[in-house]
Amino acid sequence: MRAVLAVYFTVLVLFLILPLIFLVPISLTESQFLEFPPQTLSLRWYSAFFDDPTWINAALLSFRVGIGATFISLTVGTLAAIALVRAEFFGKTALTAIFIAPLILPTVILALALYIVFLRFRLVDNVLALTAAHSVVAIPYVVMLVSGSLRRFDITLERAARVLGASPIKAFMLVTLPYLVPSMFAASILAFFASFDELIITLFVSGGAQTLPVRIWNDLGLKIDPTVPAVAVMLTLLSVSGMGIGELIRRRNERRYNTITSAEV
Amino acid sequence: MKNRPTTLLLLLPAALLVGLLFVLPILGVLSLSVYGDSGFTLGPIRELVGSRVSLVVLERTFWQALTVSVICVVLGYPAAFFMSGLSTKLRAYLVYLILLPFWISILVRTYTWIIILGREGIINRTLAAFGFSPVQILYTDLAVRIAMVQILLPIVVLTCLASMLDIDKGLVKTARSLGATPTQAFVKVFLPLSLSGAATGGIICFILCLGFYVTPALLGGRRSILISNLIDIQVHQSLNWGFAAALATALLIITLACLALFRLLTRGRTEFSSLGVGR
Repeated sequence: MRAVLAVYFTVLVLFLILPLIFLVPISLTESQFLEFPPQTLSLRWYSAFFDDPTWINAALLSFRVGIGATFISLTVGTLAAIALVRAEFFGKTALTAIFIAPLILPTVILALALYIVFLRFRLVDNVLALTAAHSVVAIPYVVMLVSGSLRRFDITLERAARVLGASPIKAFMLVTLPYLVPSMFAASILAFFASFDELIITLFVSGGAQTLPVRIWNDLGLKIDPTVPAVAVMLTLLSVSGMGIGELIRRRNERRYNTITSAEV
Repeated sequence: MKNRPTTLLLLLPAALLVGLLFVLPILGVLSLSVYGDSGFTLGPIRELVGSRVSLVVLERTFWQALTVSVICVVLGYPAAFFMSGLSTKLRAYLVYLILLPFWISILVRTYTWIIILGREGIINRTLAAFGFSPVQILYTDLAVRIAMVQILLPIVVLTCLASMLDIDKGLVKTARSLGATPTQAFVKVFLPLSLSGAATGGIICFILCLGFYVTPALLGGRRSILISNLIDIQVHQSLNWGFAAALATALLIITLACLALFRLLTRGRTEFSSLGVGR
């Protein structure tokens, strides 16, 4: 029974990572067309990406918007998370739900809603407005990760700092904030990729401006050449390594600050 | 922290951002579906109910979401069961493995299916090599369904797993020591206790299915579009804003109804978990 389940599980995982299995060899082809398996290997389509200014500009725009959205969502999301964990106030559950909602509601609803607003206030094709819109999509990750981490924080450490004479703000800044930094880092990686991957809202509100997903999207309608697999592999490497680093840092921190269990025992 | 002004100050930036760029715009969509240029109107809603296309697409969205969710639960439950029986360390690595595709852009994951399922794709060339005639999978509902299952399966597996890990292992042992066969212990004890977790995973999956846009647009034919695509068409091709708003409102209401069901299920779940039964 166990063996049958193990085989089943392996097949399932293979199905899940199927894209990677095919994508990498296809992106390395020498041919004009998509072929699997490739006859000869080359980095031709990777250099095609770097030689085409439309791809480079799309990537640069994606980085700009992504970094901006990360900065905004990390700042406002962390502040909100502190209030959501530490304070008691009316409507807290509802407010938390609203901060998380962009993650769950169908994106097309928000895309349509923002498009209507952006048209009225002439914000279509405005990079700052696009960045702000992306930060709304990124906020759920920041609020969830930072408030989760803050809840696990042993508050006696902060109290100790207060007893020893630190002001509330100083105690928070010197004791609690360093503990939160790794989860903020992990949150910012998730926030960045939420923006970096965002397609639907960008399609609606960006006017003609192309982020990387929009550039891929437009390319798919025209022709199917192996630039897209090459871009896809690079994107995947970027996101997997980014999230991997974030996870490593988060886990190291959890171990270092693992005071709650020892305090309770 | 009992200081009201501080709380307010901390919440203000996020509330402002989400209020201006999420809550108000969505309220705007809701109002657009009942307010026209000449005040209150039931026009868009009447158009929605009277339009064959939108009813067909709504029905298709519902069926696609339902079949994909059921397939995900049926495929995901045994995988989660397998993981629940492993050591904590091995399980942690397998969770990373399951989550790996999650970090690949949905656009990229969908795109790969074009390469695999297309006319000149990997499946058809393999079939041709063995002398079979090519099959048309790309640009059908089936292609959309396969890709959606692949995208959503990790979520369902992990939700099922979480509820299985909540089950008090002593319960199964007790059943065994009272004379139940392994199968009986599974069917009478483990399965009922893990079922609510599976249902939760299914509902999350269903809700996420409702909003799919990229997959049906790239892998489906003209006749496999879902409600998100129809909204897009109404905005960008038909320029029928009121109708698009009415469709978005319908989608929002259906999503919220599913979320309410989800809350009902998760609230009931604590009493089944080890915390409730075990003590």
